[in-house]
Amino acid sequence: MARVELSFKKGSSLFHQMTPFAKLLFILSISFVAIFNTNIYVGVGLFFLCLFIVCFCTGVPLKQYWALGKIIIPFILILAVVFPFFYGGQATVGSDTIAIRTPFKDLTWAALGFGALLSLRFLSLAMVGLSFAFTTHPTDMVQNLSRRGWDYRLVHAPVLGLVLFPVFLELGREISITQRIRDLGQNTNWLKRKWIRIKHLAFAMLVLGLRNGQTQAMALDIRGYGAHKTRTFMREVPRHRVGEIFAWLFFALSVGYLIYEFNPDTMQWNIEH
Amino acid sequence: MNSKTPVLVLEKYSFWFKPPAGQPEGPPAFLDVSFEIEAGSFVLILGRSGSGKSTLALNLVGIYPDYFGGRNKGKVFFNDKQKGLINRRELVAAERFRRVNMLFQNPEDQIVTLTVEEEVGFALENYLVAPIEIHRRIDQALELVGLTGFRGRQMLQLSGGEKQRVALAAMLALEPSVLILDEPTSNLDPAGTADVLAVIDRIRKDLGLTVMMVEHEIDEVFDRVDCILLVEDQKVLGPFTPREFIEEHGLYVRDNMGLWIPQASEVALELLALGTNLGPIPLNGSELIAAIEKLIPDLPFLVTTKKKIEDETDLSSSPAIEVRDVCFSYDDHEVLKGVTFSARRNELLAIVGQNGSGKSTLASLFNGIQQPSSGIVLVDGITTTEYDFSQLAKRVSHIFQVPEKQFVCSTVYDEIAHGLRALGLTEAEVDEQTIEFLETVRLLDRRDASPYVLSHGQKRRLSVAAMVVGKPEVVVLDEPTFGQDYHQARNLMQLLRQLADDGAAVIFITHDMRLVAEYADRSVVLCNGEIVFDGLPYDLFSDQDVLEHARLKPPPVYEFSTSLSEEPVLTTPPLVQMIHEKING
Repeated sequence: MARVELSFKKGSSLFHQMTPFAKLLFILSISFVAIFNTNIYVGVGLFFLCLFIVCFCTGVPLKQYWALGKIIIPFILILAVVFPFFYGGQATVGSDTIAIRTPFKDLTWAALGFGALLSLRFLSLAMVGLSFAFTTHPTDMVQNLSRRGWDYRLVHAPVLGLVLFPVFLELGREISITQRIRDLGQNTNWLKRKWIRIKHLAFAMLVLGLRNGQTQAMALDIRGYGAHKTRTFMREVPRHRVGEIFAWLFFALSVGYLIYEFNPDTMQWNIEH
Repeated sequence: MNSKTPVLVLEKYSFWFKPPAGQPEGPPAFLDVSFEIEAGSFVLILGRSGSGKSTLALNLVGIYPDYFGGRNKGKVFFNDKQKGLINRRELVAAERFRRVNMLFQNPEDQIVTLTVEEEVGFALENYLVAPIEIHRRIDQALELVGLTGFRGRQMLQLSGGEKQRVALAAMLALEPSVLILDEPTSNLDPAGTADVLAVIDRIRKDLGLTVMMVEHEIDEVFDRVDCILLVEDQKVLGPFTPREFIEEHGLYVRDNMGLWIPQASEVALELLALGTNLGPIPLNGSELIAAIEKLIPDLPFLVTTKKKIEDETDLSSSPAIEVRDVCFSYDDHEVLKGVTFSARRNELLAIVGQNGSGKSTLASLFNGIQQPSSGIVLVDGITTTEYDFSQLAKRVSHIFQVPEKQFVCSTVYDEIAHGLRALGLTEAEVDEQTIEFLETVRLLDRRDASPYVLSHGQKRRLSVAAMVVGKPEVVVLDEPTFGQDYHQARNLMQLLRQLADDGAAVIFITHDMRLVAEYADRSVVLCNGEIVFDGLPYDLFSDQDVLEHARLKPPPVYEFSTSLSEEPVLTTPPLVQMIHEKING
């Protein structure tokens, strides 16, 4: 059985008290800096900032982060170990002195720095993403964004996604089991069998998924979804002034840094390389 | 509002489904239907499978034609607290839903949020109810459905019965005048069913709500309802009181329309057919006992039913499946704990237990869909891990509860032929046997149709036929008669009986105790992942400790026959015969 649970954890930490919008702003700022940054020191700084947030600003036990975070560890390792072999001068993050000699390729400090920066980038993104998921109740986000003028029917869609995702996952799993039980694509080679099964899975998921979606839409309608342009919200959305200031401040800093990064005079990317 | 005020009135109401693009409109689903429902009444909607009960419910709510299209004619009136009877057309859709609302069959279909309080408060937020009032109504609704303390729980963590009660609470929070329930207990175990029905009794008493319920299995509700609507041939007959209904239609509705009728009424009607008149037809066990007591004062009278059952069961046949000390876990959750039992050839074995007791998980181990965490499962003496999956799947057919998930071909014909081709038959042989099978399951006229467009009963028959066509040694079915009427259920069970007689081991998972009593040779009870009973259905229903522990309930005939004879019976025919012989010497 598919087990995808609501990842929100109750709490009263700084992050819990920030509005979802402020958190979104903060996370987007971190994400853009992490993605476009080419400086290993900034990358390390960002990593420690995210670690600090995880440890001291969310009030969520570290084992909760580990439970989900461990999934991306192999990916991070691949970035750190494999990608240096493909370094082509994309970023200036270290010297061109040979650091390690391997049977495949001699790796410079710059190549190792490139791998390290990639890893730090995705670690930072993962930590900050999980911080958001653990401290933001999805309906608070719906409320917060709809109060800022977004149509609540639009912003409720991610919540519906969270509700329907396990259902579709389970549906796909059951159809795949059926294919195996009924030996769909019998007497054909491996490739053709796979193709037949993918086609059938897509069709069955489409038919059953549409039917499911239609019932869900009906369930929304008969409960007055969209009956009025706005709606009331029973949950109080937290609103912490310090959090807001922190988010806007970081946003301003990140914009400043990105301007610096993209400035042709100071840009460290060697585009001509 | 006094109890005689109509809350819902239909005047010459007709409805036509929207035809597929480019095709002419078909005959009406309903033609000139008129009836009135009194405020505060409990209405049961009956009709054969496919007669349009759910379509009627969807029309009353307004989902047809507004949502799914189609055309209607005639008038529907709602009672408004201020204005009295108002035409439905005067209200926008959202306002109609506040007055008449509907609970779907499957609670999963109506979950739209992540936690219980959000689910109950969702509609109130959409209707711009003030937050303070939303909180009050959430508490009130959860208390009504017996889920106080569940506010912060996640929907995914609830059992089927709890989800259904949350869905009911979500409707109640809206404070509608009429609530329509479409088979609300069909996915629930006996305990969950009893909980939901108790909630319905309570809300009717406390809120004076009008409840209309579509239901197949009516033993539990028949004597609770105030009136019955019968949907048949584009018409809606009634409302009848339950006694009027049963006295007017008698066994006709069971034998000709395939409707289930309460077992107490069935006994009295069968006796009447034999010439023994008990007076007014009883609606429940107590009324039946009272009626018989007038004719046979020295109750209970002695019979020897148990002996007969034991004699008829062949316990020596070889095991097709053996489960030895099996444990199974999902992550940290232990679903099966040291399960040991076997399923024999020529046997219909029922696996029963509460929702979430591990029945479906156990069944998934038989054909290797899942492997046990510890212990072994043997098929024909060989562990499932030693089989190639497709080889094992041919020996052990697993039929899911939802037939659509089982289909892999684009036509009904190909669904059957697929299994035969796997046996290596020539195309001529495949064709001959497919036609033969389609005739057996009465689907030959739909041979070129897509399996997805069949009616529910047809889909169920096709899914069973497609899985047994290869003559498997073991057939495993999850809720085989789910959503089936009396005839369809009997035909299906007779087909399974035939398979067992031909040498297969047939295992079915069910919540329907009538089915267990009538067809199972043996029953296994699972409770919290452990087997708490393995034996004859008769012994199961006699074991009060097991029934209480596993929250099961014997079929009504067993319950009321304990007062009539010293050895109760599992089905109505022997009881009818005994009473008839006793009265007529």
